[in-house]
Amino acid sequence: MEALNSFFELLLESWPVLLKGAGLTLRLTIVTLPFAVLLGLISCVLGMTNIRDLKIISWIMRSISNVYIAIIRGTPVLVQVFFIYFGITQFTGTKMTAYVAGVICLSLNAGAYLSEIFRGGIQAVNKGQMEAARSLGMPYGNSMIKIILPQAFRIVIPSTVNQFIITLKDTSIISVIGLMELTMQGKQIIARNFRSFEIWIMVGVIYFVMNYALSKVSQYIERRLSIDKGRN
Amino acid sequence: MTKVEIKGLEKNFGKLHVLKGIDLKVEEGEVVCLIGPSGSGKSTLLRCINCLEEATKGKIVVDGQVLTDKKTNINKVRENIGMVFQQFNLFPHLSVIKNIMLAPVDRKKLTKEQAEKKGMELLARVGLADKKDQFPSQLSGGQQQRVAIARSLCMEPDIMLFDEPTSALDPETVGEVLDVMKELAKEGMTMVIVTHEMGFAREVADRVLFLDGGYIVEQGTPEQIFGNPQNERTKSFLDKVL
Repeated sequence: MEALNSFFELLLESWPVLLKGAGLTLRLTIVTLPFAVLLGLISCVLGMTNIRDLKIISWIMRSISNVYIAIIRGTPVLVQVFFIYFGITQFTGTKMTAYVAGVICLSLNAGAYLSEIFRGGIQAVNKGQMEAARSLGMPYGNSMIKIILPQAFRIVIPSTVNQFIITLKDTSIISVIGLMELTMQGKQIIARNFRSFEIWIMVGVIYFVMNYALSKVSQYIERRLSIDKGRN
Repeated sequence: MTKVEIKGLEKNFGKLHVLKGIDLKVEEGEVVCLIGPSGSGKSTLLRCINCLEEATKGKIVVDGQVLTDKKTNINKVRENIGMVFQQFNLFPHLSVIKNIMLAPVDRKKLTKEQAEKKGMELLARVGLADKKDQFPSQLSGGQQQRVAIARSLCMEPDIMLFDEPTSALDPETVGEVLDVMKELAKEGMTMVIVTHEMGFAREVADRVLFLDGGYIVEQGTPEQIFGNPQNERTKSFLDKVL
């Protein structure tokens, strides 16, 4: 009883600070995601470029995308954050807030994975769909927009939301450069009162609630857009 | 009038030599059936006629347009060549009527209203007017294939290509698709059909081509090919399938 009481006391006391941290975590995620999607789309288009009469340019475009993805995939987020926040600022002699560094790092990161997700989604659409559209006389671009992308969109929703969730969780890594997001706030409280057990549970629960909500939204969208909605 | 003229067509897939020199002329209103064992190049030949496969060598002329010339606007030519696939390839995210209306509206051949009207006529013709708002996944294979035919016809093509249109169908729905095709043939549509339905080929074709190993081994009227085949390979193929 004593323990429970003291837990609730701690909860009441820490709650406002943790929520403030969660707010920043959420803001960081929400600002990052549009950039990440944009980067993902650009990299995906570059990576799939194959224009017959422009072989070399196509190759260069594909290579840009491939190198980008390889670098992001091949290095830890932690190293990327340090490199952007400390490395780049030192090299260029500029200043950058931890928040901006966080947005850049997470956008680059999620963008690379989303690029692969989008490419996979487009390639997962049956080849016959493009053939059918083309054989009706529709040009490549229109076939892509009206036939392939609407189907690819539905295919990529689950993996895209999965990547969103990963990005939300990756914001905790940004705490290493001093951004006062949820994980950092938790650490600060523990530094004062040494109550690791309770505080990390609270931090974990807040992350869980945010991600769970996100995955539920995803399931809802998936159901709404299901191609087979006509079938009972 | 010659609708399709193919001269010395060769096609390689990497090292695989699929077509080894095909000469073929299809006249307006003619129904040509391509038969032969799998891997003989029938489908590849058909797909070369609307440039879904690019010819490695040789010349293909459709409607007076040289397809093998890089300057030819292939999209424009394809508007006049309908294609029906073994796997139907209906667009699963669009309703039946939208499947049919999409290309004519996109290519500005018809306005939305015209396309819908024409689409409904065609659906009625293939016996599926009541399915207009359903999605492809709600239809049987035979119904899907009939929608696919209607979709092609809505572009008002003057040649129709059929790539094993009944091979993926349940036996009991093959007939309804073949009936639609017979109808089309009767109306004078120029048709090139890859098929394993020998009975259908015999009944509908003006000319039957037997392909094997990348060559047209033998061709003639259905009576000649099915009744009195000359080539040994034709004979042994027909012995197995008939």
